[in-house]
Amino acid sequence: MIELKNVTRRFGDTVAVDNINLTIETGEVCVLVGSSGCGKSTTLRMINRLLPHSAGNILVDGEDIAAMNPEQLRLNMGYVIQGTGLFPHWTVARNIAMVPQLLKWPRDRIDARVNELMTLLDLDPTVHANKYPQQLSGGQAQRVGVARALAADPNILLMDEPFGALDAITRENLQMEMLRIQKQVRKTTVFVTHDIDEALKLATRIAVMDRGRIIQHDTPENILRHPASEFVENLVGKQDRGLKLMSLRPVRELMNPHRGPKRADPGVEGLREEDSIRLALSVMLWRGLQEVSVFNAHGEETGVITRERIIREGA
Amino acid sequence: MPVSRTLQRRIAPNRVIPVLAGLALLVVWSLDFGTIQPNRIVPGTGHGLLSATGWFGAGAVTLVLAASMLLSVLPLGVRYVPLLGLVGLSLAMLPLLLEVFAARHLPEGAPYARSAIGAGFWCLLFLLSLVLIEILGRLRSGRGLQILLLVSIGGSWLLLLRGDGLESLSLVREFNARPDQFEQALWTHLALAFGAVAISACVAFILALKMIRSPGWQRPILGAVSFLQTIPSLALFGLLIAPLSALAAAFPFLETLGIRGIGWAPAMLALVAYSLLPMLRNTFVALTEVPDNLVDAGRGMGMNERQLFFQLKLPLALPVIIEGVRITTIQAIGLTAVAALIGAGGFGAFIFQGLGQAAMDLVLLGALPTIALALMADAVFTMLAASLRPTPATA
Repeated sequence: MIELKNVTRRFGDTVAVDNINLTIETGEVCVLVGSSGCGKSTTLRMINRLLPHSAGNILVDGEDIAAMNPEQLRLNMGYVIQGTGLFPHWTVARNIAMVPQLLKWPRDRIDARVNELMTLLDLDPTVHANKYPQQLSGGQAQRVGVARALAADPNILLMDEPFGALDAITRENLQMEMLRIQKQVRKTTVFVTHDIDEALKLATRIAVMDRGRIIQHDTPENILRHPASEFVENLVGKQDRGLKLMSLRPVRELMNPHRGPKRADPGVEGLREEDSIRLALSVMLWRGLQEVSVFNAHGEETGVITRERIIREGA
Repeated sequence: MPVSRTLQRRIAPNRVIPVLAGLALLVVWSLDFGTIQPNRIVPGTGHGLLSATGWFGAGAVTLVLAASMLLSVLPLGVRYVPLLGLVGLSLAMLPLLLEVFAARHLPEGAPYARSAIGAGFWCLLFLLSLVLIEILGRLRSGRGLQILLLVSIGGSWLLLLRGDGLESLSLVREFNARPDQFEQALWTHLALAFGAVAISACVAFILALKMIRSPGWQRPILGAVSFLQTIPSLALFGLLIAPLSALAAAFPFLETLGIRGIGWAPAMLALVAYSLLPMLRNTFVALTEVPDNLVDAGRGMGMNERQLFFQLKLPLALPVIIEGVRITTIQAIGLTAVAALIGAGGFGAFIFQGLGQAAMDLVLLGALPTIALALMADAVFTMLAASLRPTPATA
């Protein structure tokens, strides 16, 4: 758990972060979102003491970080930044092994861990382990960046616009990847972005920041349904909130389930349970359908989702 | 190897080699190939290519140059491999022409008579070397081949120069008159130049760290070091004589160490002073230009300042620092020659003796090894920097 209590950061006369209070529960993904200069990166960098805070207290699992050794604190926090920050003179494997090496793990444990993480992030160790960062694509490099942050299995993950420099498709892939990995490892994550769609997709709770203050701190659904101010309303997009809400909910919640899983007829195309309702509607509109079959992870048909129900209850 | 590829398709004609070879033909036929001197001091009589080496030698030179012109423009499937063989072999055998010259023209029974190398020969050597560099570039040859070539050509020259046929060559005579001095000069030269580089590297490193820790020191340190660089070298050598003499007079034990107004002490001090600027500038720039986001990432992952320095900043800076060492070493090898004026020894001693005695070949005996040392230092440090690049190109 991370707690920020009345935290302020001043740069000279300007106040970058103005007396904020924020609690991030263990295992949740808290996304700090806002326009550039709103203090979201500053807030993140105060949590691992890359920036000292001018006033207030920051507690990690109840302990004040001001009293901790900054290096020890950071070794316990994965850190992912925009543009990866991978060391160009180290191979992929060595980059990932950075924190375990700083912690002086034995050699074979490090090797095993590097292999494990590369596999987790869908990077083939036999192909990529001995490459240098310049030889990777942007998406691969950022996967390595994430693997490096996870290497020593820290409790906390700090991510500072990690996907900001990637193209739309790669970014989308990595976001899906992150959701998948988060399900497995459950890290307490603080994620900074200026992209509200990214925030809605990844967050357990979103903290909307403006001019150094937290305007609203709530779940994505509540942010969409009950924006606290006009600023938040504009940020989430007044008009397409309905669609954004639909993209938050999985098909599973709105389908008419069969009594038991059925064998699918070969060749029938359909949706997966975890696809968004927005996607379901899109598929129906495009193909001119009134309903679409839904399949589970084993390829069995578990239900049907109808256009009528989406229109009635979707948002 | 690109060799196999060159066998399969035609290669575009080369425009550089014909120009170089044509120029070589022109100068080798128009300038003196060699001179015969009745003794060490008297200017000799010049001989053109034909007179110097006879129809056989002149024919061989012309043939080689013409053949390399043809090989580089004719529509051929193989071009650079035979050219490499031809030019490499010619370069290795070049001293044979001097042997022929000496055998044809050196008067019998004149023990002081000597043969000397003329402008034509020097130009031929220079232009053929350029052709060789062009060929190696086109072949994208690896370091191994280049070193092998250099060693075999150099070895062939040494063998021929040490042989009986070239005993009359004035350069060889000057060497044979003082082999011990030559060796002494070599070691002195190396010790002065590399000693200065080593000391200035350490000093520059410490200064660079000081400048990074306390930015307030940047201006004064860089200013002082730049100022040292602007003093003309002879003036600096001269300026150091008085204070060092005074020091030696005041503390006799210093004199027993060899620290006096003249000799190696002022030379070393001046060389270190001159080496500081390039060394410091490269070290400082290399260490400060490590990208911020890498330092941020390293620090954010939990590296302390020491780990950041040794695992990130220094390895990334090393190629640029070595570049500084390379520039400084070449500069120091050249400057050490001048330091002979204040009695520091080294190859400069031969140069200034030769100038004083109007014996140009003694000047060459000092100048040629100085050039060779500088070129070798250049090659070694270039290779070292290449092997330390952040990403090995072969990975």
